[in-house]
Amino acid sequence: MGGTSKTLFRLGTILLLSLSVILSGCSGGTKSGGGKNAPEQSAGENNGGKVEPFEISVFIGEAGQQPTPDNKIYKMIKEETGASFKFEFLAGDIDQKLGVMIAGSDYPDLMTGNTKLTTAGAYIPLEDLIEEHAPNLKKHYERYWNMMKDPNDGHIYILPNYGVLNGDPASNWYAGPAFWIQKAVLEDAGYPQVKTLDEYFDLIAKYKEKYPTIDGTPTIGFEILNYDWRNWGLFNAPQHLIGHPNNGGVVVEDGKAEIFADKDYAKRYYQKLNEMNAAGLVDKEAFTQNYDQYMAKISSGAVLGMFDQHWNFQTAEESLITQEKLERTYIGLPLVYDASIRDHYKDRPALNLNNGFGISVNAKDPVRIIKLMDRLIEEDWQKILLWGIPDEDYYVNEEGRFMKTQEQRDNFNDGTWKLGNKADAWVKFAPKMEGFFSDGNSTDAAAQPEEFKAGLKPYDRQFLEAYGFDSPVDFFSEAPENDIAYPAWSIDLVDGSEAKIVNTKQNELSTKYLPKAILAKPSEFDNVWNEYVAEIGKLNIKAYEDRINEVLQWRTETWSVK
Amino acid sequence: MDETLTKNRTVRKSKKEKKMTWSLIKSQSQLIYMSVPLLAYIILFAYVPIWGWTMAFQDYKPARSFSDQKWVGFKHFEFLFKDDSFLQVLRNTLAMSIINLILGFTTAIILALLLNEIKKIFWKRTVQTISYLPHFLSWIIVTGIVATSLASDGIVNDVLLKLNLIKEPIQWLSEGKYFWGIVGASHVWKEVGWNTIIYLAAMSAIDPALYEAADIDGASRYKKMLHITLPGIKPTIIILLIMSIGHILEAGFEVQYLLGNGLVLDWSQTIDIFVLKYGLAQGNYSLATAAGIFKTVVSVTMLLFANWMAKRLGEERLL
Repeated sequence: MGGTSKTLFRLGTILLLSLSVILSGCSGGTKSGGGKNAPEQSAGENNGGKVEPFEISVFIGEAGQQPTPDNKIYKMIKEETGASFKFEFLAGDIDQKLGVMIAGSDYPDLMTGNTKLTTAGAYIPLEDLIEEHAPNLKKHYERYWNMMKDPNDGHIYILPNYGVLNGDPASNWYAGPAFWIQKAVLEDAGYPQVKTLDEYFDLIAKYKEKYPTIDGTPTIGFEILNYDWRNWGLFNAPQHLIGHPNNGGVVVEDGKAEIFADKDYAKRYYQKLNEMNAAGLVDKEAFTQNYDQYMAKISSGAVLGMFDQHWNFQTAEESLITQEKLERTYIGLPLVYDASIRDHYKDRPALNLNNGFGISVNAKDPVRIIKLMDRLIEEDWQKILLWGIPDEDYYVNEEGRFMKTQEQRDNFNDGTWKLGNKADAWVKFAPKMEGFFSDGNSTDAAAQPEEFKAGLKPYDRQFLEAYGFDSPVDFFSEAPENDIAYPAWSIDLVDGSEAKIVNTKQNELSTKYLPKAILAKPSEFDNVWNEYVAEIGKLNIKAYEDRINEVLQWRTETWSVK
Repeated sequence: MDETLTKNRTVRKSKKEKKMTWSLIKSQSQLIYMSVPLLAYIILFAYVPIWGWTMAFQDYKPARSFSDQKWVGFKHFEFLFKDDSFLQVLRNTLAMSIINLILGFTTAIILALLLNEIKKIFWKRTVQTISYLPHFLSWIIVTGIVATSLASDGIVNDVLLKLNLIKEPIQWLSEGKYFWGIVGASHVWKEVGWNTIIYLAAMSAIDPALYEAADIDGASRYKKMLHITLPGIKPTIIILLIMSIGHILEAGFEVQYLLGNGLVLDWSQTIDIFVLKYGLAQGNYSLATAAGIFKTVVSVTMLLFANWMAKRLGEERLL
């Protein structure tokens, strides 16, 4: 009897123990990088001794692909500094993912910037760390030091990845917003100068009449995407048409921000779209399609024009290039209402405070991480990270300029190749040089003028020559110096605040009414528009504008101090 | 109360009267040990989280201790019920839920009845397999298929045009009045085969002697279906119905989110989307919790009601 109960007791204990092990596994805290059994490498110049390997866990707030284990750049980083990375890419919804991370205080060592994480106190302040351990980073960010401070408490949490410029940025490839038009349309019309919205739609209308189908599919005159967060195709055009840069949902005049969604100059644009819809130029499915359908239509080559940001439909354009339909690729036009308005589409890269890396409160060794970043911002490493290995990924010609062979160029556009040969996941969010290296070469291969020209396809070269331009960027006016507080779209509206709720509601109204207005019979347009304006009037828009103005004010005061 | 019932009860009682003694516990200790992990699991994952409901009554800020939170009473519930769009959202959720419930039930039962009548096992299997395969696709793929086939040059418009039923393509996804139907139909397409399985299982448990007897009495196929098969699976139907009624406020999220657009916003937005927009996306976890509590309370009430109804109708019950 006693024997059995003992066994039972033992059995029960084992069960309980195993359960507790399982449960503790569930609640488990952070993984330690200590288990890595990588062979120790000797570092030549650094401290003469051995480099202790360490692993940095990194959360990337967008979808991506894991680099291959034998990626040559990461291998080099590991050899010199001992650091290896463990990337976690976003899968699914960012808000949901962050919610879970915050709830469990379960942070990796490095995380891409996000205001939700800042609010939750997930990042450590970096000022002292940089002052003490990172002279190169300090030098890199010197001119931007004040701008990097969080408006809410004055600490630096995020090291911005873009917008720190060395000299005037050269660029050939325009990534931003514009009214895009197929090269074929311009070619067919004899390469006209297009300045205004009316001219643009006239061209499209004429071309569509002349060619009702393209490669068998019916021609689509003007395409609009208004899906999920990619909603600017419908919302943002009016501010550009009156000659303002992209400030998101507001127009900033003399430091004062106000929404433009319900203004008359916005109405003018949507009324034009309404007429164009009545004329059959706007895609009937514009407002019901999702992003994939939109991309599919562009890839088919049947879409003559749209308002969008270049990077948003870049993959569709790449597919057109692969299909060798170069005349179906696009050129961006900086349209305005009247030719007298100076276009301001192109802007100087502004510091994006919501992007880049921040070190989390859970990081075990922030000093080593900051030292690593400090090392990687030095020019020799930047060249490796941005251009690659000399004579392998690019070559240096007699004049000391970096160039690429066609094969090297193709490699750089090959996603699979990049996983094994570029440290993209790291480079994209890490602090980096932009503009020029000290030897005058461009930091970005695509921005190196002679390299860009050499890489142009004959069709594109001929197209640009017809206009007398060197690159597609020349269609745009030179970007004037940014306002100190620019851009307003990077302002944190603060989660849960009235400003943010109002903004969400206004977006919802625009998503609902603008399609209705555009699709309405022209005689009914005014009715729908008035209803829309009235609905916006019911919201406490002032709360939203006040928040923007408050931060703009704060920026002007804090940032102008040099 | 009739006699058999009272009898039953006394029988049960006499069994129960066996007193809880130490020796009894000892003799059943294996069972008790075995139940410990499951009990712990349930307590941990079903009861402990209820503690989180306190969030709904606070202005919850993550990564702060419980005592640092600010209590705000029913503020978040008020926000929910005072918001104009919430009522609309509630309507949409209920409507789509009920549509899904009714369509889901009837189509699954009908398909099961029809499949049951197929005597060639090969065909039965084939039809069954084809009909339940979509279940394994994720909604993102299904909505992609739906959106593509409903496009103006999609298969649906093509077929209707070829049949001369319509003159020009219908923009299915731009009209609010079609939206609920589209959601219901996509649900049916995706889940009908899967839902059939349980009914088919229930049907296979029906005593073949009943069919033979009916044959001898000269019952037709239709009569057998009506008087043997259907009553045979009635308990299954009732139980599943009760369980689904508990989920009445779960019209889903993905379909509506992925198929919805500005033009059908007034018909497509469900509670879950509303919560995502004004709760999670705003970092307002309290609001999300409040909406969750609301849903749970409604669900439990509906569940109890359905259970009670089943009892009144003299049917099997869940609880």
